[in-house]
Amino acid sequence: MAYIMLTLLIGMVLGVISVASNPSPYFAALGLVLVAGVGCVVLMGHGGSFLSLVLFLIYLGGMLVVFAYCVALAAEPYPEAWGEWSVLGSVLGYLLLVVGAGSWFWGGWYEGMWVPVDELIEFSVVAADSGGVALMYSLGGGLLVVSAWVLLLTLLVVLELTRGLARGALRAV
Amino acid sequence: MTPTHFTISSAFLLGMMGLAFHRTHLLSALLCLEAMMLALFIALSLWSLQLDATGCSTAPMLMLAFSACEASAGLALLVATARTHGTDHMQALNLLQC
Repeated sequence: MAYIMLTLLIGMVLGVISVASNPSPYFAALGLVLVAGVGCVVLMGHGGSFLSLVLFLIYLGGMLVVFAYCVALAAEPYPEAWGEWSVLGSVLGYLLLVVGAGSWFWGGWYEGMWVPVDELIEFSVVAADSGGVALMYSLGGGLLVVSAWVLLLTLLVVLELTRGLARGALRAV
Repeated sequence: MTPTHFTISSAFLLGMMGLAFHRTHLLSALLCLEAMMLALFIALSLWSLQLDATGCSTAPMLMLAFSACEASAGLALLVATARTHGTDHMQALNLLQC
């Protein structure tokens, strides 16, 4: 189990390096999908299955799909993947940085540190993270209303930004 | 620093460096911003899970909602840039160039 968690954490860092080295956006979006998938499994390994499901549905299924459609705006005839020297240099630089920073810390890492110990204090019907999210609807109702208002405002902002014709950011198109 | 803590911290910092050192496309900067938001979501979720503080589980949900708002605003700006300048290349945004 500790080895699985080690693999997942390394996969997450490698995925973020593949996004941060700035290849062509096609490949960066692919790297982001990898990071989100591996991050979901990390969350599941710590017992947060509901939050992992939410991440998969909303982040991967909602936001990244929209990003994938917008990648069509960044079309170029010869997209640069990670084999291109300019991108590979960034990848190697970031790898060196992460390994260098990790070498400061990994002296103190011991066997039991990789996977948290499950504490079964009592048996309950509701899982921990699901029960916590349900608080958003009861005690945190005010913040729920505020975030719904923020989402509505963002919709209007986006519609205003892409309005076109006379007003907005698109003038003559 | 535990390995998990190190991983999410380095994921956030790598995303920030990718955002700072972006090269050609505006979209790759937005994708690095999304990677930072993802690292923050995983960090907040792991915080509530490892401390057995279930009340903190609302924080990653709300953060995801606001990050969706920010991503959509950024993509609207990208679409506006692509429709006025023709590409989303950063070199096209040269209004402040001396």
